[in-house]
Amino acid sequence: MRNKILILFLFTSVLCFGQNRPLLYNVDDLPQALLQNPGTRIDFTRHIGVPFFSQIHIFAGSTGVTAHDIFSDENPNVNQRVQNVMQRITAGDYFSVNEQWEILSFGWKVGERGYVSAGLYQELDVFAYFPKDPAVLAFEGNADYIGQDFNFSDANFTGEVLTTYHLGYNYKVDPKLSVGARAKLYSGIFNVESTKNDGAFRTIETPNGPNFYRHELDGLDVLVNTSGYASLKERDSMTVDQAVAELLSRSFFGQNVGVGIDLGFNYRVTEQFAINASIQDLGLMFHQKDVENYHYFGSYGTNGLEPLFPELDSNQATIPYWEVFEEQLDANLKDETTYTEYNTWRPLKFNASFEFGTGKSILPCDYLISKKPRYMNLFGMLISGVNRSKGPTYGVTAYWDRKVNDNLRFRLAYGVDDYSLTKLGLMVSSRFKNFNIYLSANDIIGYTNLAKANSASLQLGMQFIFKDL
Amino acid sequence: MLPHRLKIIPILVAGLSLSLISCFKDVDFGQAKDIELTPDLDVDLLFYQLNENDFLDSETNAYSPVIRDTVRLEFLDDDYIQDGLMYAEFHFRHENSFPNEIKSKIRFLNNNGREQFSVNYTIPAGATDSIAVMDTIHVMEGSNIVKVRRSIQMLVELEMIDGGKDIEGKLDFSSKGLFKFEF
Repeated sequence: MRNKILILFLFTSVLCFGQNRPLLYNVDDLPQALLQNPGTRIDFTRHIGVPFFSQIHIFAGSTGVTAHDIFSDENPNVNQRVQNVMQRITAGDYFSVNEQWEILSFGWKVGERGYVSAGLYQELDVFAYFPKDPAVLAFEGNADYIGQDFNFSDANFTGEVLTTYHLGYNYKVDPKLSVGARAKLYSGIFNVESTKNDGAFRTIETPNGPNFYRHELDGLDVLVNTSGYASLKERDSMTVDQAVAELLSRSFFGQNVGVGIDLGFNYRVTEQFAINASIQDLGLMFHQKDVENYHYFGSYGTNGLEPLFPELDSNQATIPYWEVFEEQLDANLKDETTYTEYNTWRPLKFNASFEFGTGKSILPCDYLISKKPRYMNLFGMLISGVNRSKGPTYGVTAYWDRKVNDNLRFRLAYGVDDYSLTKLGLMVSSRFKNFNIYLSANDIIGYTNLAKANSASLQLGMQFIFKDL
Repeated sequence: MLPHRLKIIPILVAGLSLSLISCFKDVDFGQAKDIELTPDLDVDLLFYQLNENDFLDSETNAYSPVIRDTVRLEFLDDDYIQDGLMYAEFHFRHENSFPNEIKSKIRFLNNNGREQFSVNYTIPAGATDSIAVMDTIHVMEGSNIVKVRRSIQMLVELEMIDGGKDIEGKLDFSSKGLFKFEF
């Protein structure tokens, strides 16, 4: 069982890993900007990505702990460091892994004002809040926490692997405003969700009670929904190769479906100043096949076992106190496995930015903006975030985007988010005739020692981009 | 303007720089095998609240100075006890208002009824307005911990000293265990 979970994790991790990509947002000569904001300004007329290589996006982050915090080689007391981290980290801290692997990407200009883009990509998204109370209970026990609640609501996580088919339309309303929308069809490969847990375990002193303590499991209600997992679990004899093959086979023809939409706009307030915003993945997944859900619920309290000193003959068995206790437990704390369909919201992403241009230049390739002047230096600020089960996560990024010439562009960015206050990013995009290759990395300081980094992300890709018909 | 073949240089430089600077430093992931879970669990065990009637035969009303009962503690046979229990501290408390001393024997037995260890003491006599409290702490650790691991039954036995049919009073018992684990 454990092996299969590991295989699943490795499979999805190896394929590729935030969700928001501030270094690609508003980059008007990259088609990936359309995935961030379908209403963004673009300056190309056709594009086709190199299959499987037009975008590989990897992100991993943790808000409360780094590898160095645990595995520092400064002294050997790893358990003391684990304990220190456990005390510092909160139930609001989280771990996140996200990857997006673009398989197909293409688009073309329609009429004088429109641009159609489409494609498909595979995505993995794992997001888990630190289960503080259950972790403290497991690592430290209850002895030092008499009178305190261990809340099961701290267990809050989601994970999904899916393939997304998308079709978008970008429309230039007038020289100032462009709008866009993208319809998405999701094909689910795997999903696990446990976000509405409740209940608490506590040990309270009872000076007026029958024993030293009372142990209570109060209002337990833990639900773990899964889809795409039961069929893997049932195949005990499945080898690693078979499990990987099974998951790969679902990449294109997954069992569960969903629908979603991206919306966005860009508005040029003045020639130099523009504002824009977008939402991505306003959508639902409908989990109807290969569903297996685990529900644990009930309440129970005990002061221990009470011997009744029955008058017994030497050959009579005593009262089976333990069995009675277990029966009471079973009657009051229940677990059940259900196969009920469930729906999940996709993690909604939102972006909003403003951008100011300097260094006026008229380039001959700017067809969609009617050869309006453009600016070689763009200074912008972007607020982006993702909606999660305990509320949205935010990040703010300021950037300088420099177009060196029509074929070379870079962006330097500084960002602040839950992971880091010193997030430096760099994006470089280059063209050779119609072939474009780009690379962007965020939290570059962290790359110098990933062990001390709270997050790292990387995007790279290559594609053919045409600026004329 | 750069010749076409040189235009890849910025990407290569960026990619190469990234791959050169990215590394894990100052960490020893080999320490993962040394990570231990060391929970300390404080749990109630047995309790009882007795009065004079518990020392009288329910049918004949004859005085029974010795009473006993056995409770199976199945959790002591669980894997986490067998694999990880390193320290056990038992805390027993008697509160006696009988005007008699009472001998208490608390015996821990294995599945076959063989005693592994016991905690025996005499509870001092008390009075209704002056309850005698007897707190006893018994620690099992080191080589003795195996005796706890082998135990699965807890036998409690009480012997009223110099009592009789007309005894009056109450005897309350509380017990808990602090179990320390290393996994």
